[in-house]
Amino acid sequence: MHNSIETKALTKNYRIGERSICVLDSVSLTVAPGEFVVVTGESGSGKSTLLTLLSGLDRPDAGRVFIENRDITDLDEDTLAPLRNTTFGFVFQSFHLVPSLNVLENVMFPAELRGDPQARPGAQALLTRVGLSDRLTSFPNQLSGGEKQRCAICRALINNPRIVFADEPTGNLDSVNGAAVLDLLLELHRERGTTLLMVTHSPEIAGRADRVVTLKDGRIVSDQTRV
Amino acid sequence: MSSLRFVIRQIAGARRQGAIFVMCVALSIVSLVSLGSFSRSVQASLLRDAQALHAGDLIVHAHAPIPASLQTRLDELTRQGRIATARYYDFYSVVRTVAGSRSLLCDLKIVEPGYPFYGRVLLASGRDFRQVLTPGSLVVEQSLLDRLQLRVGDRLSVGNATLTIKDVVLQEPDRPVNLFSLGPRVFVPAADLNSLGLIGFASRVEYITLAKVLHAGELNGLLAQLRAAVGESRIRIDSYQSADSRVKRFFDNLLFFLDLSGIFTLLLAGFGIQSTLFALLKQQEKTIAVMKAVGARSRYITGHFCALTLVLGLVGTLVGLAASLFLQEFLPALFHGLVPARVELTLSPWAIGEGMLIGLFVVLLFTALPLYRLKEVRPRAIFGKEESPGFSNRSTWVITALGATFFLSLVLLRIRELKTGVYFVLSMAGLILVAFLLSSLLLRFLKSRDPRNLALRQAIKGLFRPRSATRSIMVTLSAALAVIFTISLVERNLDASFIDSYPSDAPNLFLVDIQPDQKDAVAGLVGSGASFFPIIRGTVTAINDSPIDPEQERRSRGDNLGREFNLTYYEKLLQDEKISQGGSLFRADWNEPQVSILDIVVKMHQMKVGDRISFKIQGMPITARISSIRTRSGSGLTPFFYFVFPPALLSDAPQSLFCAVRVPKDRIPELQNRLVARYPNVSVINMEETVSVFGHLMARLSTIVRFFTSFSIAAGVLIIVSSIFATRYARIQEAVYFTILGARRRFVATVFAAESLVLGLASGSIALLIAQVGSWAICSKGLELDYHPYPGTSLGLLGATAVLVLVVGLGASLPVLRHKPAGFLREQSDE
Amino acid sequence: MKLKNLLAAVISLALGQLCFFLVEPAQAAPFEGTIVAAGDSLTAGYGVPERDAYPAQLERKLIQYGYHWKVVNAGISGETSSGLLSRVDWILKLKPDIVILETGANDGMRGVDPKVTGANIDKAVTRLQAKGVTVVLAGMRMFANLGPTFTKEFAANYTTVAKKHHLILIPFFLEGVAGVPALNQQDGIHPVASGYQIITNRVYPYVTKAIDLKRKKRIP
Repeated sequence: MHNSIETKALTKNYRIGERSICVLDSVSLTVAPGEFVVVTGESGSGKSTLLTLLSGLDRPDAGRVFIENRDITDLDEDTLAPLRNTTFGFVFQSFHLVPSLNVLENVMFPAELRGDPQARPGAQALLTRVGLSDRLTSFPNQLSGGEKQRCAICRALINNPRIVFADEPTGNLDSVNGAAVLDLLLELHRERGTTLLMVTHSPEIAGRADRVVTLKDGRIVSDQTRV
Repeated sequence: MSSLRFVIRQIAGARRQGAIFVMCVALSIVSLVSLGSFSRSVQASLLRDAQALHAGDLIVHAHAPIPASLQTRLDELTRQGRIATARYYDFYSVVRTVAGSRSLLCDLKIVEPGYPFYGRVLLASGRDFRQVLTPGSLVVEQSLLDRLQLRVGDRLSVGNATLTIKDVVLQEPDRPVNLFSLGPRVFVPAADLNSLGLIGFASRVEYITLAKVLHAGELNGLLAQLRAAVGESRIRIDSYQSADSRVKRFFDNLLFFLDLSGIFTLLLAGFGIQSTLFALLKQQEKTIAVMKAVGARSRYITGHFCALTLVLGLVGTLVGLAASLFLQEFLPALFHGLVPARVELTLSPWAIGEGMLIGLFVVLLFTALPLYRLKEVRPRAIFGKEESPGFSNRSTWVITALGATFFLSLVLLRIRELKTGVYFVLSMAGLILVAFLLSSLLLRFLKSRDPRNLALRQAIKGLFRPRSATRSIMVTLSAALAVIFTISLVERNLDASFIDSYPSDAPNLFLVDIQPDQKDAVAGLVGSGASFFPIIRGTVTAINDSPIDPEQERRSRGDNLGREFNLTYYEKLLQDEKISQGGSLFRADWNEPQVSILDIVVKMHQMKVGDRISFKIQGMPITARISSIRTRSGSGLTPFFYFVFPPALLSDAPQSLFCAVRVPKDRIPELQNRLVARYPNVSVINMEETVSVFGHLMARLSTIVRFFTSFSIAAGVLIIVSSIFATRYARIQEAVYFTILGARRRFVATVFAAESLVLGLASGSIALLIAQVGSWAICSKGLELDYHPYPGTSLGLLGATAVLVLVVGLGASLPVLRHKPAGFLREQSDE
Repeated sequence: MKLKNLLAAVISLALGQLCFFLVEPAQAAPFEGTIVAAGDSLTAGYGVPERDAYPAQLERKLIQYGYHWKVVNAGISGETSSGLLSRVDWILKLKPDIVILETGANDGMRGVDPKVTGANIDKAVTRLQAKGVTVVLAGMRMFANLGPTFTKEFAANYTTVAKKHHLILIPFFLEGVAGVPALNQQDGIHPVASGYQIITNRVYPYVTKAIDLKRKKRIP
């Protein structure tokens, strides 16, 4: 049984002007398939950076990243593309929906990229599931925050990814919507057995995770699995 | 000043749009200053030339001695010290050698000492004209000495007097060398006028009084005064400015057209300025919102951005002035050959001042709207929750109306004709309206499309991003491109009609008035390959028995039936003509006289095959039936005949012969001399010279027009670049999203390429449609040319547009693909 | 009538000769004879409608005074004496009884040697007379500014030729018209309608003299 995600000595520095700031300092981490891991820490602790590195959205200055035993650290963008399309699903704090597409089209898009003929019915089913069946033709700028995030979740899941990365998914939502979105994410995670890696600074959300990894100043200071 | 530093930092942050803004301003300045300087240089030189061309400021011209009343007036003005006068007399006379053995018809000019007030009479000896032409002397043209076999110092019998030839004249200021004259020039001093005994009752003499106006500002006043004094009589009084000059009229027309193109450049540059400022301010939206959120007043913000605009405008102006200076180095080479050598092309301070003033107005005008809109930015823009202001704001209309008024006044100022100015502005408005309508239609069509290809679908969806200004971009692009395309198409048609259509094997020598019994000898001289056409002069007296009134005919603007025609006869069509109606040149089944007419004749008077035309041919009335109508494909520089008869009908008529032949260039002078010596009745017309001069002239003109209209093209390109850069952010965002969702680079590139291509082709197609209609209208109605749509050129223009938009669009968006997505996401979240 | 003309036309064409297709308005009675006014712009009537040129005015005056004679305007503007000489045969095709010959002015203005002009007029008159035409010669004078010798030789041509061939000579065609601004157009050379009226009146007695001569010759 391979690990879903594995990293070794991940290091990332940011250069601002003439100064160099070390955001991640030799972080090593493994995540098993189907695990729900929360990465938490204060602002500036490097948790979002860790997420981008693990998901291949950025390249580390040192260290390696393995996805399902495959070293993705030095892969070029085009080789990472199918991975992002079918293996990963992303949910962002700022939603990042394509503004020129409506709800249905946004969700269909990853499936269409793959050439899936069932893209439309599949997207419709998902959207109905999350309660957006009456907003199919609305555009992102016509939706509320909660609706946008629900749409983003559907988009993340349309291709049945094995790993879902969520960066502060409830960060821009009120408490009611945030709770609803979180429940949705967890429900779908349990149904499909996806690996869920979530970054958050909310202790409440951290409380519902199987495992909580805490970062401080670019290093893991605690890694607790709940019994 | 801290706010100045703030401004500069902001500009640095919005480098690209700022650069385009600067370039648009620079373009306006260069266009205004170059054109303005050129215009002023030409006019100054022409005026300077005009004085020399007329040898005086005021010219009084009569066919009889001027009436006493006018003479008294002139004397009075002379006494007052306001003018100086000099009279001269111009007429033909036959001069004889003293022995009387040889005589020659000459063009005499009897001049008073004041002549010429401007310009110089150049003598072969280099001496001063006034000092040489003393009483009893003559100054003659070299050809007189050659024809009469005389030398300087010999005596010549003129009228009743005998005078001594003192010098040879090389150039007169008021008679361009090539002017047609029946005989060589002979200058005689006025002191000898009476001794000649040639001027009297039955003489045909031109009496001219030149006046030099001694106080500069008095010219037009004195002109009006003197004209009032002579009233309706046959005396003509002109000033050097009012006297007709073909050169002046030509330049008036050229400058008029260039002025129009200059104004159009200004319009485009203005739009470029406006769109870059809009984009720049949009980029700064969050900053502005923050400023407002921390308590900055609208006035402060507007003031701040006005300062920004002024800084950019100033930089643009300086760049423009530097570019103008730089251009001046190359302009003389550009205009060489077209503009008289005496014209000095310099940067005129007036033009610089005028250019800067107009440039300032244009900047103010086109930045007014974006700056005015600043007050509508609300602090909540920080959070990205922004509504876009609609177009039907009152402020938009007010500012647009102000803009239109400004442009109308600018146009009228430059063009000075109310009707044309209004037409110009109306057609500009019409152009934008049509572009708007067509763009809306096309966009609606595109929106309904649902292509199967994902990339293409995404590309089309991309055109309709919320808050994207796709329609405005399309309208601006289409309008700008339409004008550029129109200019190109009209130029192509002009080229084809004049330059290209003169084939290289066409005859270059025309001989006129050959007598039939001279035909063989002349044919022998010019060699083989010569075509001889019989010429019989005749007039048209009636069409289908209804008489022609020559008076009324002559009143029509173009060619008309009231004049005498050169009739001819032949059996076979000329090489460059074909039959457009009638089947064959002449019909074997008709038993009456026939005539074949050229389609130009039908334009003068309605007629068709089968109608009858009555002619008066050398006093003989003949009625002929129209057997066919011919049409020409030539350039107008090859021989053609309006009326062609069958040989049997006119072969006996008194005729002269016209010969068209192609002769090697170097043989022409020698051939000309031999022909003239042996057959003095034959006139030789050297088409080689005419055509090559004409060809050069057209090429030069075309270059000049292209030079000044290239400014418009540059403005159009800037607009394209600015528009594409303005939408850059949205595309980059999409590119990153697609990448995150698993799209390969090729997919992303395809989407953007398709989007740019669609935009470019759509705008280009609209522009091409408008341009074809516009060019057709200009060519066939305005210039009366045959119009060709030139599909090749059209497609080329369309293709070039598509490529340009593609390159700029991809260039603006693709670089982001080189980086990892996280960078972009980080920047986004930071805000 | 039409059929006969048509036949004549066909035959003429077949013979490759010139075909006349004279368009004549129906006349009550045919003309007694044809007078051809041959000359340059002063005959053609440059700058005035053809009905105001002197041949048309002359025809009207003749008819008015009972001379039922046709006057054909065979003037060509700008023609020199050489040109006129070259079309004598063409003029003869009109079968003129009388020819008013007015030429030479253009020669003078171009400074052509008066000897050449004189020779041309002489030859033209000879050929016309050989065909039995009565010639009325219009005398011309040249502008004084061309020089005394030239103008003298120029004017002498007409008196010489007239004397040699016993022609009716109109001493100076433009007498009373030349040099009078009101009777001429802007160029000072070509008369206006009122100028041609004076010319017509001047020419009239000479033409009637020619007509009388012709009539006498006809009586066998």
